[in-house]
Amino acid sequence: MSTTTAPERTKAPLIPPSTHRYADVIHRLEAGGSMLPDTPENLTQIIGIYKAYAVPMDFYWRDLLYIAERVFLNPLPAFKYFISKEYLERPNSYAGDQSPLRIWRGTEKAHPELLAFMERGETRRLPKLLHHLWHDRVNMEFAEACMQAMFWHQGMGGRFNDYLESDAYKANADRAIKAYFKGNPLMLGLYALFPEMFLEQVRQLSYYANLGLFWEVMAPVFFEMSDIYDEGGFKGVPDAMDFLVNGIFAVAGRPIYHHVFIDGECFEIIPKNEGFTWLYEAALPYVEAVFYRTSPFRGTKSYNAQAGQVPSDQADFHYGILYADVYPVGSAGIPPTLLMQDMLHFLPPYLKEIYKQHRRRDEDELVQLGITFQRSMYNVTSAVIQALRGALLYPLDDNDSNHLQANRAFFEAKMDRFLRPEARLLDIQTQDYR
Amino acid sequence: MATILETAASAGVFNTLLAAVDAAGLRQALESPGPFTVLAPVDDAFAALPPGTVQTLVDNPPQLARILKYHVIAGSHRHAALIAQDAWDSLEGAPIPIRSKDPFEVKNATVVAPDVECDNGIVHVINRVILPG
Repeated sequence: MSTTTAPERTKAPLIPPSTHRYADVIHRLEAGGSMLPDTPENLTQIIGIYKAYAVPMDFYWRDLLYIAERVFLNPLPAFKYFISKEYLERPNSYAGDQSPLRIWRGTEKAHPELLAFMERGETRRLPKLLHHLWHDRVNMEFAEACMQAMFWHQGMGGRFNDYLESDAYKANADRAIKAYFKGNPLMLGLYALFPEMFLEQVRQLSYYANLGLFWEVMAPVFFEMSDIYDEGGFKGVPDAMDFLVNGIFAVAGRPIYHHVFIDGECFEIIPKNEGFTWLYEAALPYVEAVFYRTSPFRGTKSYNAQAGQVPSDQADFHYGILYADVYPVGSAGIPPTLLMQDMLHFLPPYLKEIYKQHRRRDEDELVQLGITFQRSMYNVTSAVIQALRGALLYPLDDNDSNHLQANRAFFEAKMDRFLRPEARLLDIQTQDYR
Repeated sequence: MATILETAASAGVFNTLLAAVDAAGLRQALESPGPFTVLAPVDDAFAALPPGTVQTLVDNPPQLARILKYHVIAGSHRHAALIAQDAWDSLEGAPIPIRSKDPFEVKNATVVAPDVECDNGIVHVINRVILPG
């Protein structure tokens, strides 16, 4: 008996192929894929690094909120990284049974690997102060560098930054400053002399709160992705991207606010009822400031600004992870290296195994994991691009050619940002880049 | 004639929108004389959003109100008037682009039933929740 198979019917495309330099990537995005090619190793790499990233992130968000809400304007904040028990145990708003949105299955508590590391570090059980001075701890300086990138670049969409200049914000900040320094004539005197300096510090603290509230969501998302992968749940890179897209929508409406607690009283410097949201006022500015822009890191490479080596327009800054040359960045004290060092402590065994098989094996794990991180952030950026396409444009399977053309123009505009030679989009298309 | 909210309630396909208006505390405002132009997404439009999206907004009324206000334009504008301009300022503050005149499309939504006259304004029924940005 013989069987005949009908020839597979292919639908004629409604719009002609893209002629963009990254046409292949654009066509992949149009087919529901990611900028990162769908290979088994890419999936393994990105999920492994999400897990390693989520553990320190579970500390970052807690301490960022601790600094924004409790340390506040302490003029000598030497112990700002010594998070209080209350904040270390603060239930995650988007994980655990107490959460109003029970989408992610993780618990509300700090991750056990984080707690174990805080106790022993790389060395052994020692007093917290010694761990701190020996720098055997989570590198909060990285989190602060991200916050500073957001604070410095400002004006990247959303209304957060405009609000920081409003009279309402200034009045709220003024009340909190006066309450915080009540009975401290020296600081109140300085405040009377230099009010703008204090106000600017409070604005920076509002960005601490902003980033803390942003990462509070991302930590359980990344933990869950790791769990799903361990159970064999993701079939490929697009699945992992779609999980992120759904996550972005699920919490898009989360309020972004800044509350300060002084002597048991809550001062709402940015009240929740201003209507600021996780997507517009935190996630999108974060991606723009940290993934794309940041600023040249000291100690990596010298730039001559007068020779035009640093763009005059901040919007053209391109020192984020999507453009980074991970090798020279891997030096002590450079913010991305601090993150790499943090992630090194929590790498899943399967990722360590990959690194052992390539390049300098154990010797250059930091560089290899940095490049893995770069791959993973191209995937996160793809999720953001697909989420924005979904929110502002049209479904990928739309039948209207005008709609598909609008999607095309959107994707091409996003890819234009990777035309500059520093972009790593081409590098991550192959597995050789390690 | 009926008000915007009464019209929506009798249509039977705006249950999510009406619940959202109540959760956001906008009922009183939308029952005022207005007039308003409301771009009203049908229930299917809300259902098409990924899981959790609507719940997070309903749990946070000021944020929900912001999204809903993006669907409202001050004044009473019929289809013919709306397409005469490239974009209209929403009550949320961000502009709503008129992307196509025929078929009538506001931002990435298609108007499936324009010009539903009400006492305090006009409703245009849309097939997708529109978002600022």
